[in-house]
Amino acid sequence: MGAVLGGLTLAVVALVFFVVPPAEGLGYYVRLAFFHIPVAWAAVIAFLVSAFQGAKYLRSQEMAADAGSAAAARIGFAFVLLATISGAVFSKLTWGAYWNWDPRQTTIFVLLLIYGAYLTLRGAMPAGHRRAKTAAVYAMFSFLTVPFLVFILPRLYFSLHPSPVINGTGLAMDSVMLAVLLTALVDVTGIFYWLYRKQRTRILREEKE
Amino acid sequence: MNSSLWTGIKLVLCKELTMGLRFKAAWASMFMFALTTLACVSLAMQGGQLEPKMAAALLWMIIFFASMVGADRGFADEDAAGTLMVLKLYGSAQPVLFGKMLYSFFLLAMLVLFIAPLFFVLMGAEAVFPGVFVLTLLLGVAGIAAAGTLLAALAVGARVKNGLFAVLMLPVILPVFLPAIFLTAEALGGGSLSLNYLGGMALYDGLLAVGASVLFDYLWYED
Amino acid sequence: MIEIKFAAVSQCFHGRKILGPLDCGLCGGRITAVTGRNGIGKSTFLKLAGHFLMPSSGKVTVTSDGMEMRGEVLRRRIAMVMPELRFYDRLTARENLDFLLGLRGRRLDDEEYGALLDQVGLSPKAVSRSYAGEFSTGMGQRLKMAALLAAEAEIWLLDEPGANLDADGQAMVAREARAAAERGVLVAIATNAPGEEALADEFIPLDGH
Repeated sequence: MGAVLGGLTLAVVALVFFVVPPAEGLGYYVRLAFFHIPVAWAAVIAFLVSAFQGAKYLRSQEMAADAGSAAAARIGFAFVLLATISGAVFSKLTWGAYWNWDPRQTTIFVLLLIYGAYLTLRGAMPAGHRRAKTAAVYAMFSFLTVPFLVFILPRLYFSLHPSPVINGTGLAMDSVMLAVLLTALVDVTGIFYWLYRKQRTRILREEKE
Repeated sequence: MNSSLWTGIKLVLCKELTMGLRFKAAWASMFMFALTTLACVSLAMQGGQLEPKMAAALLWMIIFFASMVGADRGFADEDAAGTLMVLKLYGSAQPVLFGKMLYSFFLLAMLVLFIAPLFFVLMGAEAVFPGVFVLTLLLGVAGIAAAGTLLAALAVGARVKNGLFAVLMLPVILPVFLPAIFLTAEALGGGSLSLNYLGGMALYDGLLAVGASVLFDYLWYED
Repeated sequence: MIEIKFAAVSQCFHGRKILGPLDCGLCGGRITAVTGRNGIGKSTFLKLAGHFLMPSSGKVTVTSDGMEMRGEVLRRRIAMVMPELRFYDRLTARENLDFLLGLRGRRLDDEEYGALLDQVGLSPKAVSRSYAGEFSTGMGQRLKMAALLAAEAEIWLLDEPGANLDADGQAMVAREARAAAERGVLVAIATNAPGEEALADEFIPLDGH
């Protein structure tokens, strides 16, 4: 699986640098979007997986589900960091400031806080059912913020982000760009899944010892 | 079943109030903490006035951190005193959760009652819409009580406690916190009112309470 | 009848095995002594039996007439005396009992309360004016026995119930344990005291790995 993903990644990089045309208003900076969007997407997916596995643990009390929840959170944390940093750079290049509490920026920042809190909580407890349960409860409880992040936050703050993916506001998405973006999304989701599986087995093995 | 739940909630609430009255240091430390923070900022500003947005943010910062000193210590105190085991043995999950939540709400409401007038005196702020101001404070505090009670129970098992609670709390409470700051600023005269935020806050308070109720059973019963 | 079954139960802490693997059973109407040297896991055994702790592997099943019990249903049938059980030190004995038993839906009137104090050998005068925090350890132990008796539970988990008690108090513990077993209560005693071992109908010796 690793080899396939490596090949796909190389292909995406080649497409982004040699095929994708510079976008109107963004120029070649648009290349960063093909990194930023998939990474942010994977961070959100990881959050869903972590909460889902947490719920599964609460139902079944299987340590494998707990390991899944922890693995998704660890990788999600890495992805959310990448998304935040790439987003800040992108923002500086196009809007002139690293940070301005745009709704999407706030969302990703809240995700960063949740991942950080979840991992700190795990780190502060000895391994075992007690930790698994506590972590799962926190994953579920923090999941309650999702409706707020999706529905209410965008009304609180004015957004500079193009909605919903990239269209309107002088940034028309042609079919080539869309195709490349979708490929990048598939690629990064695949990478997430691959890392997630590896991490989960590692955590399970660590706990057995 | 429902009447026994209510009896249980009343028992827990009465017990908390009795213990609080007999050992006032916990209350005093929370009130003094809030007062000290407010006085610090006021002193540093030397009588200068804050614009509504800043003033609102300051007020909510004080409430947020003061809640950690006093109101949301319900389970940490039981744990420190060694009484958590006996409470777990005799008490069912839901009465304990809601009793503690109501107590926490009561304490925070008292805190707000204490700090808000001082805030107006020391910061020179003025409530243009007093009704909205009070309602916002109460709804915000209800959210802190609902989320804080569950998270306090959750943090009990952790070996690092002091900073952890704030870390766990902030992302969960943000959906109440942000509209609360916006509304407070508006009530202090910073722009036109967006009253549907009040509904949003109430809705999210309810969501937090229901979520806490469902999840607390998992923390209270090990099996 | 109440039964507790341990099936291949073992408990690890920080990756080190502290108990098990164990296969054994306890049943209502009998006094079972859990014995073994200090640190062998007697208290852990009792906590596992009452579902206050989940085993690292294996399963503890509690049944009432063949019906499995867990969560709130099980918790409400348990009463315990343990060294780490502590009452609210700023409430009086009466307030402590009223609060804790009230949570189980029981109310003691003055007459019942007086009889209860008499049963465990506490003088009403000595306990009426002071907070539970001011009790001597022996009086505290007797108060724990009072809470145990008043709970009318079907499962008694006693961890060194005679500790800190004088000869009179130890006789009271023995008398009440026997009376409870005759009512059909499942009594488990973790002990090394010869007097309490002599009381037992069954033995579960924990003898290391």
